[in-house]
Amino acid sequence: MNTRPEQRRSWPDRLPGKLLLGSLLPLLVLLLWWLGIRSGTAVVPTFGAVLEVLLHPFRTPPDLSSRSLAFSLLMTLLRLALGFSLGVATAVPLGFWAGRSRIVDRVLYPIVQVSRPVNPVVLLPVVTVLFGLSSVASVAVGPLDAWRHDVWDQVQLAMLFILWWGAFFPVFMSTVHGVRSVRTAYLDTMALLGATGSQVLRKVLLPHALPSIAQGMRIAMGVSWLVLLAAEIFPGTRSGIGYMLCTACKTSDYQYTFAAVIVIGLIGLLIDVLFQRLEQRAGRWQAAER
Amino acid sequence: MSIFVLHDVAKAFTSREGAVVPALDGLSFEAASSSGITCIVGPTGSGKSTVLRIVAGLEKADRGSVTVNGQDPVNAVGLVGYLTQRHTLFPWMNVRDNVGLPLSLRSLPAADVHRRVSAICSQLGLEGAEERYPYELSGGMQQRAALGRLMASEARLWLLDEPFTALDERTRHQLQHLVITLVRERRLALLFVTHSIDEAVFLADRVVVLSAGPGRMVDTVDIGLGHPRDRLSPAYGGLMERIRTRIESVL
Repeated sequence: MNTRPEQRRSWPDRLPGKLLLGSLLPLLVLLLWWLGIRSGTAVVPTFGAVLEVLLHPFRTPPDLSSRSLAFSLLMTLLRLALGFSLGVATAVPLGFWAGRSRIVDRVLYPIVQVSRPVNPVVLLPVVTVLFGLSSVASVAVGPLDAWRHDVWDQVQLAMLFILWWGAFFPVFMSTVHGVRSVRTAYLDTMALLGATGSQVLRKVLLPHALPSIAQGMRIAMGVSWLVLLAAEIFPGTRSGIGYMLCTACKTSDYQYTFAAVIVIGLIGLLIDVLFQRLEQRAGRWQAAER
Repeated sequence: MSIFVLHDVAKAFTSREGAVVPALDGLSFEAASSSGITCIVGPTGSGKSTVLRIVAGLEKADRGSVTVNGQDPVNAVGLVGYLTQRHTLFPWMNVRDNVGLPLSLRSLPAADVHRRVSAICSQLGLEGAEERYPYELSGGMQQRAALGRLMASEARLWLLDEPFTALDERTRHQLQHLVITLVRERRLALLFVTHSIDEAVFLADRVVVLSAGPGRMVDTVDIGLGHPRDRLSPAYGGLMERIRTRIESVL
């Protein structure tokens, strides 16, 4: 009888080993930076100056039009969460529909295949013309207090649109694949048990497609993160990590530029690890079957 | 009333290249009794599995008529249970959820489902494995769990398509005994496809021999032996020889 796979992994595959090996190069770079640049140069600030920015995330930069590091990060993550969620919320149902219906698939196929390769950043000028500077605040229903209005006013519809674009296609394609690859035997079993359409969806299609959807979400999140940072550099933006990076460069406040780069890298890593976990969890049965 | 009747059934499939491949041609037989085991044997390509899929309502016959309990197979939902050699269990569900699937689909209370699944697992020797996933089980235990799901359903006609082929001999024999016990206890009708003549003679009350494709019935052998059967008895060997000769004659 087979049993659960033994958790006997060599040390590089265990968490402490992974952390140790993964932090070797970043630590080496930091060490070289710390040793090499003691007084700061015209472009590269000292490690201490950047650390100062990172350790005081709520401090408003004195010479920048940008808000604090924490606020910039909040705005970036808010845009990311909204745009990404919109992408997933539309891609998953449509993917299920296209995966189950040949007619829907035939209708969507040409437009999806033409749109999919278009880099969302390329669309930004067009979308900005289309949506102007409209933001969530301008379409929000009901009164908003000043702080909320300030925040939602900086979540531009153009930005949400390109984030939706970046997230939609990978999730849509992976959902279609996940639904379409369901074995006929599983559907036969459900048919013989007299299952309803919603029971087939809940008990077979959704769990079967979940690993594929999670994989698509991980790719989509990577795309969204890159797209968003590029979009925040675009004219008309007034906040966000990308905006902070750009304005700090213009005013030669390079400690903020470096801090923004480090935050972008760390958040990117964190997001990827989170989605990797989600993917592994959703696809545990599939990995074990291989 | 017959549990199922096939009359002059024909079925052909179209290959990817567009060629028509006949699988069954003019097949007629029925299970008159509502309980007992009928085995179908025949060479590869004789349409054995197609017969099961047609009786299950998963395929439609091109010609002829098929009834299950007096009605069209498509309308006999819940009356027929179907088990194949592979992909029987849902890999994302543990044993408890797999076995309890027919019950949960009927929206029975969770406590009832839990109690009935535990009783079935206990009868099948799956105690302690309820929370395991299919990939954590041996082939024999997977097929036990699949039988458990049939037990949890209200199916009166079980269609088993070479379910024990991939198993080692000892496990296969254990499961054959288990199937005989279940059929007797629950007064089920069982239509069992196998390419093993030994398995057919060991299990069946009646063996239907099909010709090479397209499948036609060439013989029906009433076994006439009680259970448990002695594989070394002359009568057992004689039946094996008779069926083997019939199959070889149509190759």
